[in-house]
Amino acid sequence: MHTVLESVGKITLVSPRGRLDFGSAADFQAQIEGAMTGAGTAPVGVLIDCAGLDYVSSAGLRVFLIAARAAKRAGIAFGVCDLKPSVREVFEISGFRELMPVHADRPQALAQMLK
Amino acid sequence: MSERHVSVPGHASQLGVLVRFLHEFWSDAKVPQATAMTFELALEEAFMNVVMHGSPTDRVARVDVSLAIVDGELTLIIEDDGPPFDPLTLATPNISANLDERRVGGLGVFLMRKMMDNVRYQRLESRNQLQMIKRVGNADE
Repeated sequence: MHTVLESVGKITLVSPRGRLDFGSAADFQAQIEGAMTGAGTAPVGVLIDCAGLDYVSSAGLRVFLIAARAAKRAGIAFGVCDLKPSVREVFEISGFRELMPVHADRPQALAQMLK
Repeated sequence: MSERHVSVPGHASQLGVLVRFLHEFWSDAKVPQATAMTFELALEEAFMNVVMHGSPTDRVARVDVSLAIVDGELTLIIEDDGPPFDPLTLATPNISANLDERRVGGLGVFLMRKMMDNVRYQRLESRNQLQMIKRVGNADE
């Protein structure tokens, strides 16, 4: 798995690609932490764009949970978008859709987060 | 009918070997993407449970995995020679807890049980055996 970080205005986009499993979870967590606390000023929001994410296990869900909680504590808007069907199913069964904002796609997510 | 086996030490670094094992199986037996994903998830969760609970400090458990498809039904069997551990006794996570109270413990087994048709644990003499079964939908579903 690899993760791309980019900025759209004051929102930091985190785009994981590939498989988010036990083996890649720690690295992904470090990337998100970096995106939140990164160099300079903290972002207004962090959006995890999952368009390239093929697979997520409970080890990956744990990272989403920790990130959503850290964002809440830091007063940073948090959301995920563009879940593939396989990832969406895991989010639905585990109750994660109710736990954090899940947006259909990137433009919709950015519009919501910049409100 | 198609059947494959693999045997690995119960160490987290072996997860990639198991993923490749499944991918090789899927290249022989065509199954829908969603079904393949369900088995990848179930195998990762079951294997990581063995890694965390089934390998005492002085030794690493041996994990044997077999996957078979018979008459449209996939059966995944994971056996290990670690101490007795029934993952199905893990407490069910409270999936309606809010963000601050939510815990991830037990979520892997919960997902496995929800996504499989049948999950069964047995202690066979000195081995743990976890068997998971799911009927395969049509490949074009």
